[in-house]
Amino acid sequence: MLDSAPGIFVALEGSGIGQAIRQSPWIYMAANVGHIVSLMAFAGAVAVLDLRLAGAFAATSPGRVLGGARRVAILAFLGLVLTGAVLFTAEASHVIMNAVFQLKLALIALGLLNITLFEFFVAPQVKNLPPLAPLPPAARRAGIVSIGVWIAVAICGRSIAYF
Amino acid sequence: MKRVHVLLAALLLAGPAVAHHGWGSYDAARPVTVSGPILTSKYENPHATLTVKGSDKEWTVTLAPTSRMGNRGASVAVVSVGKTVSAYGYPSTVEKDEMRAERITIDGKTYEMR
Repeated sequence: MLDSAPGIFVALEGSGIGQAIRQSPWIYMAANVGHIVSLMAFAGAVAVLDLRLAGAFAATSPGRVLGGARRVAILAFLGLVLTGAVLFTAEASHVIMNAVFQLKLALIALGLLNITLFEFFVAPQVKNLPPLAPLPPAARRAGIVSIGVWIAVAICGRSIAYF
Repeated sequence: MKRVHVLLAALLLAGPAVAHHGWGSYDAARPVTVSGPILTSKYENPHATLTVKGSDKEWTVTLAPTSRMGNRGASVAVVSVGKTVSAYGYPSTVEKDEMRAERITIDGKTYEMR
């Protein structure tokens, strides 16, 4: 498997950083724990955000809910990327060839695309709506797509070790 | 105490998250014991690995995360090149000549890997 991975990932794994991650008694473990904790924060924020878009908590002000949840989601996503990069670097040449990991990357791209489209085209219409006002169908769609995509990302993430 | 348990559960779940091939892909119905000198030793995360000159062939023996091994006394010095190891475990159904050790014995001492 090692020789079929693109050279850049073989080099990344073999780099000083890759070696340091593998040889440290705690870095890999800390990154693993940090990844799970970031995931919990991300899942919580995304659930609030997406469920509000999908129509739940209708008595709240959508702009306020989105603003708060968005901040937590961005911070948690940065935590996921940072800790995920550590885990990936340790075994880059194997992991990059893992079909479930590739699917996970594609799903993350889809999730980010969904968010980008929402933020540019839908969020401005939703931001100033009062509590109990019906949301545009595009907002509901974005919320439902988002929940589905991020759950699929989590399933893929946990499944990498088994394929 | 409950919180500690939750944290431990999270750690256990997180442990093998990025094993490079599946923990599911070992044949527990066909346990093997590989005995012989340690040819190479990689004391690295996510799990340490040895190559061992067995009686039949050269095996890659997958061990455990280094912090767990250290906690159980299987330090880097214990699993060093040249020592004779006896590893009981399960052969991989995916990787050729690779096995995952359930426990290893070196210098008369047995260390559990799970």
